[in-house]
Amino acid sequence: MDQFALEQYLAVGAAMFVIGLIGFMTRRNLIVMFLCTELMFQGVAINLIAFGRYHDNLAGQAFVIFVLVIAAAEASLALGLVILLFRRRHSLDADAWRDMKG
Amino acid sequence: MLLDVMGMAAPAPLPGLAILLLCVVAGVGTYMLLPSGAEAPFRKIGGVLVAAAGLIVAALLVRAADQSAGGGVYFWIFSAIGLTAAVRVVTHPRPVYSALYFVLTVFATAGLFVLEWAQFMAAALVIIYAGAILVTYVFVIMLAAQAQTGGDEKPLAGLAEYDIKSREPLLATAVGFATLAVLLLLIFDTGGHLVSQASSSAPAANAGSTQALGTYIFTNQLVSLELSGLILTISMVGAIMIARRRVASEDGVFEPTVESVTAPGTPDDDNPHSIPVYGTTNPRQKSFPEH
Repeated sequence: MDQFALEQYLAVGAAMFVIGLIGFMTRRNLIVMFLCTELMFQGVAINLIAFGRYHDNLAGQAFVIFVLVIAAAEASLALGLVILLFRRRHSLDADAWRDMKG
Repeated sequence: MLLDVMGMAAPAPLPGLAILLLCVVAGVGTYMLLPSGAEAPFRKIGGVLVAAAGLIVAALLVRAADQSAGGGVYFWIFSAIGLTAAVRVVTHPRPVYSALYFVLTVFATAGLFVLEWAQFMAAALVIIYAGAILVTYVFVIMLAAQAQTGGDEKPLAGLAEYDIKSREPLLATAVGFATLAVLLLLIFDTGGHLVSQASSSAPAANAGSTQALGTYIFTNQLVSLELSGLILTISMVGAIMIARRRVASEDGVFEPTVESVTAPGTPDDDNPHSIPVYGTTNPRQKSFPEH
C-alpha cells in the first residue's frame, strides 16, 4: 500500500512543539501559558505516534496514553493553583509573582 | 525507489540553507505577530510572513515526496489547519479565543492521528482534550475574567495589560526558531528519506484497532497503566485540596472567608454535620438556617 513518510510528521510535531515553546516564553497570562504547554504535548504526541507507525508497533500509542494522563493531571493541578493565585492578587499576570524569584 | 541503492542516497528534500532562511523569515513573522500593542497592519505583515514560510516549506516537501506517501492531501490539510491554529493560540490576545483555537488544533491533531493508524488515540484525544481539559480551561478563564470596561470599539478594549504586551518576544522567537532550525536540520539533512521500509505492505488487519491497543497495554504495560491511574487519583485529591483552600486577598478586595461567612461558634472544621450559616456575622441573629 502506501509508504509512510516519517519526516513530514516529525516536522509537523517539531513545529507544533516550537510554537508552544515560544508561547510559553512570551505570553504572560498564566492560563495561556498552560495552554501552550498543552500545545507542546500535542507536538510530542504526534512524534510518538509517528514513530510507532514507522516501526509498526503499538508502543508509541501506549506512550501517548500516558502522556494524556500526565497532561490531564497537570491541567487539573495547574488550574487549581491558578485559581488560588488569582484569588490572592486578582491578576493572571505571571510577572505579578516575580518576587518569588530566588 | 528510495534508498534502493545504498551508496547513492537520495538528495535531501530541504537543503540546509533553505531551512535556516525559512526559519529566520518565520521567526521575524512570529515576532511581528506576537501581541505587543502594535498596529493591525504590522501584525498582518507578520502573519503573511509566517504563512509564506510555511507554504514554501510545504511546497518543497510536496515536490520532494512522492504523492502517495504519508496520507497524501489529507496530511497537508490537517497539518496546515493545526499549525495555523497553533500560531493563533500563541498570538491571539484574548484567552478565550486562544482556547477555542486550541480546540481546532486538537481536532487537526486527531486527524493526523487517524492518518497514522491510531484511531483510538484520535478519539481519546478529542474526548479528553476537547471535552475535558478544554472545558476546565474555559471555566477557569471565565472565573478569572477581568471586568470589561465599556463597549469600546477598539480591538484590544477591555483586555488586561499582560494580555496585550508579551514578554521578551524577540529573545523567545529567536530561541524557538533556532530550536526549530536544529530539529528540521536533524530531520531532513540526514542524507536520506525516513520512509518506512517494513510497512510498505498493506497494514495489518488490526492496525490501530482498540482491541490491539488494549491487548498490548494490558499485557505489556500493566504496571504503567495502574501507576497512571494512581497519578490521576492523587492529582484529583490534590486539586480538590488546593481549590478548597481560602486565601486572603492582598489588595483589599473583599473575598469571603470561612470566618466571614460562618457565624461565630459555628465549627469550621471538616465535620460534615456542622451547619454553616451564610450572610450573618452577628451572634444575636439567628445562627441556623430556617426551613
